[in-house]
Amino acid sequence: MSDQSKFETFAALHVPGDPVVLYNIWDVGSAHAVVKAGAKALATGSHPVADANGWPDGQQVPIDFALANARRIVEAVELPLTVDFEGAYSTDPEFGGRNVALLADTGAIGCNFEDQVIGGEGVHPLDLQVRRIEAIRRAVGDAFFINARTDLFLKAESHDDALVGQVIERGKAFADAGASGFFVPRLADPVQIERVVREVPLPLNVIAFPGAPPKSTWAAAGVARISHGPFPHRALMAQLEEMARAAIA
Amino acid sequence: MTTSLFERFAALHVSGDPLVLFNVWDVGSAGAVAKSGARAIATGSASVAMANGFGDGEQVPIDFALANAKRIVDAVELPVTVDFEGAYSNDPDEGARNIAQLAGIGAVGCNFEDQIVGGEGLHPIRNQAARIAAARQAVGPHFFINCRTDLFLKAPQETHDGAMLDEAITRVQAYADAGASGFFVPMLGNLDLLGRLCAQSPIPVNFMTYPGCPSNAEVASTGVARISHGPFPYLALMGQLEEAARAAIG
Repeated sequence: MSDQSKFETFAALHVPGDPVVLYNIWDVGSAHAVVKAGAKALATGSHPVADANGWPDGQQVPIDFALANARRIVEAVELPLTVDFEGAYSTDPEFGGRNVALLADTGAIGCNFEDQVIGGEGVHPLDLQVRRIEAIRRAVGDAFFINARTDLFLKAESHDDALVGQVIERGKAFADAGASGFFVPRLADPVQIERVVREVPLPLNVIAFPGAPPKSTWAAAGVARISHGPFPHRALMAQLEEMARAAIA
Repeated sequence: MTTSLFERFAALHVSGDPLVLFNVWDVGSAGAVAKSGARAIATGSASVAMANGFGDGEQVPIDFALANAKRIVDAVELPVTVDFEGAYSNDPDEGARNIAQLAGIGAVGCNFEDQIVGGEGLHPIRNQAARIAAARQAVGPHFFINCRTDLFLKAPQETHDGAMLDEAITRVQAYADAGASGFFVPMLGNLDLLGRLCAQSPIPVNFMTYPGCPSNAEVASTGVARISHGPFPYLALMGQLEEAARAAIG
């Protein structure tokens, strides 16, 4: 499958009310296992890639490793791959755009791109984040799924209606800047989800977590994509620990 | 003077009370196994290959293998031994240089096998002894060279007999004379043969588990000093990941 048709296949999976489920992976082996499970697309998680290889999260995985890892996965599997690329390894719009273009060169057909200040506090001012997304879109062309993430919910203790208003403001601006999707980690309440879905003209991605509402609840609220973030890797490593304890005892 | 990681690792090889190694492939798996109470960490070459999309049999580029090993060494406090296949060369000196690089990143030992990687059968005993001697010379005394024979791996288990054991004993004596620290016999599962091997081996014997193999207690009673798990932890875990993903996607 060409990158173009992989991108089209992937984009078409984002159906509000019938979300694509992405069970996040970190290497070729985990990609194969998730393919065998019947996945329609693959998504890395930056945190599991970091944990699996001994780096902290937050762009501590060297970009060359992140790109090489993405390339290995693309070469090993047929399904579309989207990569959690954090803040594209630069706050500068042009450098970030170039880095995402390098990611597109690996054969990945999309990425997560977040608005938190990595290594700093809070989220980037909206006008800067818009310029970063615009630069990425210019660098990669149309056939690349920019899943623009806001970390407003991740960074806040209280998730009130005012915060949802800020999330919506960001989602609309990200859409105008060329984003393909809108990703709000920690957004979970179906009423808040419905509001975001109604007002932001992009497919909405939320993260499933232990104790999250069932898929059907989120689907009914209009979610188009459910990913799993760091939880698959964490759960699996806990299973490995148990297996090892039993073998060693 | 504190005991070195190598000394700690070597001392864990006790005949009849074997060191159990649950093989890992990356930092994450090493961390999980360390938390389980492991006393040492061992990589498996097939697992490293599968996790990263390479074939087994030295298809993992040596630079990747070394960098992966270094990440694990840097991340855990425990001694780390690396499954280094045939040291990426049939030439004794080149293989020795490669093993020295592995020692240089902080691994305390390696598996080093006698099958001809990418070819047929095993290296003749004299060649393999020369390869081991070169490795020993390159790394000095403080590195656990776990010399593996693939005699039993290459033959169906029902054909494992006394004649094959005699060849294994000839090999372990030559390998020990050349400087091997341990002897690894994957797929030898016959307890009688294992017991005879352990009685005659001048160096600690390593048994590898496999589905349906004898229990750790039975294996320990033959005199084995080390039990490793090869690719099976990885394969089992990927089966569990597949199930978890199917449940999430379904």
